[in-house]
Amino acid sequence: MAIKTFKGGIHPPERKTATEGKKIEAVPTPKQVVVPINQHFGAPNKCLVNVGDTVKRGQKIAEGAAPGPMTVPVHAPISGTVKKIEPRAQSNNTDGLCVIIEATEGQESADDFMPILDPFTCTKEEALARIRDAGLVGMGGAGFPVHVKLAPPPNKPIDIVIANGAECEPYLTIDEAVMTEMPTKVVQGLTIVMKIVGVQRGVIAVENNKTHVVPFLKKAVAEFKRDFDISIQLLKTKYPQGGEKMLITAITGKEVPSGGLPMDVGCVVQNIGSLVAIAEAFYEGKPLIERGLTVTGGACKTPKNILAPIGTILTDLEAGFMEIDQDKLRKVIFGGPMMGTAVPSLNIPIQKNTSGITLMTSDETSEWAEETCIRCGRCIRACSCHLSPVVMNNALETGDLEVAAKIGLLDCIECGSCSYVCPAHIQLVQRFRIGKQQLRIKRAAQPKAAAPAKV
Amino acid sequence: MANTERRLLLSSSPHFSANVSARQLMTQVLIALAPVTVYGIVLFGLSALITVLVAIITALLSDAGFRLLIGQKPRINDLSAVVTGVLLALVIPPSTPWWMTALGVIFAVVVTKEFFGGLGANVFNPALSGRAFLIMSFPAAITTWHRPVGFTQGLTDAVTSATPLNIIKLGGNMANVGANFVKGGLAHNADYGSVLWTLFVGNRAGCIGETSILLILAGAVYLLITKTIDWRAPVAMIVTTFLASWILGLDPVFGILSGGLMFGAVFMITDYVSAPVTAKGKLIFGIGAGIITVLIRKWGGYPEGVSYSILIMNAFTPFLNRLIQKKYGYVPPKKGAAK
Repeated sequence: MAIKTFKGGIHPPERKTATEGKKIEAVPTPKQVVVPINQHFGAPNKCLVNVGDTVKRGQKIAEGAAPGPMTVPVHAPISGTVKKIEPRAQSNNTDGLCVIIEATEGQESADDFMPILDPFTCTKEEALARIRDAGLVGMGGAGFPVHVKLAPPPNKPIDIVIANGAECEPYLTIDEAVMTEMPTKVVQGLTIVMKIVGVQRGVIAVENNKTHVVPFLKKAVAEFKRDFDISIQLLKTKYPQGGEKMLITAITGKEVPSGGLPMDVGCVVQNIGSLVAIAEAFYEGKPLIERGLTVTGGACKTPKNILAPIGTILTDLEAGFMEIDQDKLRKVIFGGPMMGTAVPSLNIPIQKNTSGITLMTSDETSEWAEETCIRCGRCIRACSCHLSPVVMNNALETGDLEVAAKIGLLDCIECGSCSYVCPAHIQLVQRFRIGKQQLRIKRAAQPKAAAPAKV
Repeated sequence: MANTERRLLLSSSPHFSANVSARQLMTQVLIALAPVTVYGIVLFGLSALITVLVAIITALLSDAGFRLLIGQKPRINDLSAVVTGVLLALVIPPSTPWWMTALGVIFAVVVTKEFFGGLGANVFNPALSGRAFLIMSFPAAITTWHRPVGFTQGLTDAVTSATPLNIIKLGGNMANVGANFVKGGLAHNADYGSVLWTLFVGNRAGCIGETSILLILAGAVYLLITKTIDWRAPVAMIVTTFLASWILGLDPVFGILSGGLMFGAVFMITDYVSAPVTAKGKLIFGIGAGIITVLIRKWGGYPEGVSYSILIMNAFTPFLNRLIQKKYGYVPPKKGAAK
């Protein structure tokens, strides 16, 4: 099988060995969970419970404040009592309203799951409603509602569904573990998505540092009785191979148009974790209340792949299960080191889109001061979107937002390749993030008629 | 716990880096320059060694001195001053008096680099500006060449010699170059093949570091393998020089083996700061430098045009940097959309 890839990108050290091949361990039920009521990209939710309420695992605790397509409900990850409803720090470094649920001691109460639904006999509307009701958001990135992604407008025909098992982010191994342990659920989830969007062709994309998962996936595909064309595609191990755009280009050879979405080139991409959650939503009636993630890094004494209820706080886990070297700990990252978010404390809950928590020591992270650009052009060679970061940064430094936009400021996916290779350690991605915000503010302030043509 | 939280570092992603520094990149350049430098010293002896040492020391002193004078932190640790010093030493004749070398280096470091804002901000290649400054100030000394005499011999009037390009400039042909090589004991035969071989090995009169094509190419391979330089500008310059020489009736192989063409294409045109950063920009930069080199060789007042060609192209760099690559997912603007 030919190994495919995209142009550009970098080869950071993988550092996956600490958790590679380790079984996914379910965390012992924590004594409390802190559940943000807004964990999706879209309109805000309202809280459905009050302090003192008893909630069952799987019960809906937050729902769209106003009816609309861009809302996704949130469910109670454990059974217990609502202790507090208050703003808490979230993994994106903002405070958001959270429901704090304390576990009921001793007694096991029944789950409040949805009835089982056969995705192949129900209608498309029923299926999309189930996906929304299960609280499904993209589990790899920004938390985009899955039901919106699976309902493209009729003028955007879809011809391929891609399961994103590239896992190009260093340190993280949870997708690999899921593909090893639950290949059937991955295939089930993939076929449900294919059924909903009405396509025959599905591809499970895996970087070639994980060839050992291929037999498991092949077996699961072979055992699956329904007639779908599902193939497994190996990709070159290169960062950011798992970026949605890079993945689509590697597999289909097409480029997602600037400002467009994967559906513009007939693609739907789903993360491995999301596919498993989709399968569970139908075959078990289980909403998205727990997820697999990797907890690793040099300051983690017990690196492992875990299955944790949403809202779990790492330091709430018993010492035998999770031990953190507080003395060495220098950086807490929600996600991996390339695109994850550094947070100021360990006291932050696991959310629907937390694919890992990387606890880095100061040896592992880079603490360089910015120096002068020597115009070596390494950022240009590394850019996965074929932009020219140095030229863009020069434009931003002179305050010329429109020139920066013309070069591709809004096309930047913030993969971090440019900052990674920069010998002057210029925080290019950070500067581009700020530039994007400035540009959006500026454009929003302009009268509609004078808005510049899309570049 | 409170203590821990104060120690935690918050920053924008990415959270680790390739840990490459400007100093490391400059070290790679110095490693690549080492063979030609050593060979130059072996060929031309003590005076070459003195030239190189004076250049390095002056570069460090003038860089640190000027920055201290204007109240900035010295930046000699990044080794860019050393690279400038070595590069300048390698593109001047071995017989250059030490104080001229020092003056050239001071011009390169202080005027060309620091006056424009220091590392990363200079418009022109520092080493080549230093050389241009010396040629204009001391035309006789900087165009006096010596036959390679070996390390133990001193460079005296007895061993002055024309460079191969001098001979061609004065109306000579390849046979004259061959005869000069044989007369100087640099080659056994005067035939075309021997001339090219002598040029390739580098046993000839010229600047300290420009003579041996073989060792320059070794440096180029090292820089390409370590991804320190990009292939585009050097290849474009060499190919263009070959073609342009051929079209204008000059010997194309001689054209790329003689003078400072190969050295310039590998070590000068690839200077990060003064060359374009974009791929297309680099190609055009190389092509332009190649054409101007040949034009100067054919019709200009100097036998060699490499340094001026690169300096002239340096001025185009800001414009060439506009030739950015086609971005991912680029959608050409529709005609009439502006209405």
